[in-house]
Amino acid sequence: MLDLRGRKLAVIERGRGDALIYLHGFADVHGVAADLQPFHDRLAGVARVIAPAHPGCAGSDELGDGYGIDDVVFHYLELFDALGLEHFDLVGHCVGGWIAAELAVRHPQRVRRLALIGASGLFVPGEPIGDVFLHAQPERGVELTTLRRLLFADADAPAGLRFFPDGRGDLEEEMRRYQMLRFGSFVGFKPPYFYNRALTARLYRAAMPALVLWGEHDRMIARAHGEAYVTGLPGARALTLVKGAGHAAPLEEPEAAAQAVIDFLEGRGS
Amino acid sequence: MDNQVKLYCWHFMSYPYLPADFDTTYETGWVTVPNRLWDSEKSRGLYQEYIDQLAYADEIGFDGMVLNEHHQNIYGLMPSPNLIAAALAQKTTRGKIVILGNLLPLHLNPLRMAEEYAMLDNMSDGRLIAGFAPGSGPETFNYDVPAAPSREQFWEAVDLIRRAWTQDGPFAWEGRHYPLRYVNPWPRPTQRPHPPIWIPSSRSTETLVNIAKRGYCYFLSSRSHGSETAKSQAQFARILADHGDRFDPFRMGILLSAYVAETDAQARAEAREGVWYFLKNCLKGHLRREGRQLTAGPGIPYIAPSEFRNYLKFADPTTPLLGDAEDWSDLERSQSIIVGSPETVYRRIFDLIEHAKAGHLLIQFHMGNMADALTRKSMRLFAEQVAPRLKADSARLFARQFPELERTPEPAQ
Repeated sequence: MLDLRGRKLAVIERGRGDALIYLHGFADVHGVAADLQPFHDRLAGVARVIAPAHPGCAGSDELGDGYGIDDVVFHYLELFDALGLEHFDLVGHCVGGWIAAELAVRHPQRVRRLALIGASGLFVPGEPIGDVFLHAQPERGVELTTLRRLLFADADAPAGLRFFPDGRGDLEEEMRRYQMLRFGSFVGFKPPYFYNRALTARLYRAAMPALVLWGEHDRMIARAHGEAYVTGLPGARALTLVKGAGHAAPLEEPEAAAQAVIDFLEGRGS
Repeated sequence: MDNQVKLYCWHFMSYPYLPADFDTTYETGWVTVPNRLWDSEKSRGLYQEYIDQLAYADEIGFDGMVLNEHHQNIYGLMPSPNLIAAALAQKTTRGKIVILGNLLPLHLNPLRMAEEYAMLDNMSDGRLIAGFAPGSGPETFNYDVPAAPSREQFWEAVDLIRRAWTQDGPFAWEGRHYPLRYVNPWPRPTQRPHPPIWIPSSRSTETLVNIAKRGYCYFLSSRSHGSETAKSQAQFARILADHGDRFDPFRMGILLSAYVAETDAQARAEAREGVWYFLKNCLKGHLRREGRQLTAGPGIPYIAPSEFRNYLKFADPTTPLLGDAEDWSDLERSQSIIVGSPETVYRRIFDLIEHAKAGHLLIQFHMGNMADALTRKSMRLFAEQVAPRLKADSARLFARQFPELERTPEPAQ
């Protein structure tokens, strides 16, 4: 737990090598899991992975009432300064991908390489981002089938059943999910819904090498959002797909998703 | 003050023309319930029928009429309760007009609410009771209101409105959510310093503290009663004491539904259709486990994490809700919908008053698709045979429970 000018910030740090900031999503470490998962551990095999929990998540303090995406961007700049990180690789998933993109367009000189996995953040007409809040309200009080269908390739995906089981779960797991949704409500509920209309036109500033990685069956954030990132980011070549995965690709296909990121970091992939 | 319980007629104005297979065919009555089900022809005159029922309540002696704001659902057809209140201001002369309330975070500028309520207070010659609510789960989806910051936004709006009514303008409001350079509303309310302010809450400590700090009236919005209702009263009384204030029955209101007929059997026979239409259809998506309940839960994360932790510890997600009632005995247990002869209804409501110690009873008479004639007959029997006994007996009860009421020179707000 770090102290950031009086604010508590939970961070997991693992591995050695170049600094890699990992910003998490909903179905991810801090969002549903207490610790790094196999996907992140694979990254920690090649880099020094630093995975902060978003405000309000996993014991991190909230940023006060009425905060938004800009406050989160500044919050992470403070973290990077506190850790003395001038340059780093930046990997973000889901809403973490949005934050990563916002950081990269503001401070392109600090981001060596940018990897976005099923990232929200862009407004793509006709392709609205899925309503995670509505589906987080269980059916019949206990069933999360439609939430799993939104986040995973199918509602019976093992990772989905493990992290979003039907019925009242373990108290700490329920709280972790709640705090993630609360964070999401602060930064992304109000239209714009997990996007910033101005971001598309700013992407040209983030000219570092970029990977845009998407679950083949992402129903939360349509593939068109990935295509839009590829179009806008000068350092991105083509959309890379994780076969068989939905939105939560790092949980569903950790090996393939991690390999794609590692190939990119080591200069082999897109 | 006479210290008698105050009896209000609450109308939700539900949509009564759903197809018979609604429950089996449609997932919810809220937010996404397809509006092609609205029948424009059948619905001609519907608002007039409902407004007339409320005016009838005023005519036969109820203390007031209650309205509230809902959007995009079949449960309550009042996206703007203020429009109905304006009609009532013209059609009635006596009872309070209670709006419970305007959902402040759904509106761009609270000043507009301050203005409309001030207009209504003038138009009704000082009969407005001004309720404010933050809006429950369905409304955050209906109007895309972010749940997490909505409570802070709500209280800022309430504070702005009260100040707009009480402090001479123009003044500047430097709030986070609603900064305004010139606050100077015309008209000002008729009632001075301002109309009574009521705030609904379902037992949130945070909300009760905010109510106590400001001296407002607490309306317990829960639809089910029992030991929890008495606990809520005790909780509110404790919080008031912590703030140097003292509970009295007229600081608290509760909601219930009633149907009165000549005998218990006749009451059940006459109310059955309307009651189950209300439970199965209107509560689907709100207070029913069947389908997806949108009223509270993880997807509407406005509750502070510590309070949500308590909720998780003590609330069983499989417990049946009001709308899950299958028969009359389930309903009796909820103590929410009271159906019977004048004697039965008197007895059960007085029992509730004894336990809840609440001086404002907000009673729903029209339920679901209940026919106009039955609704009016039930209201009349209540007014003639139940209300007088409740009034007389509650005055004695409150005098015993709250001897200091007798010494209060001015009515409590």
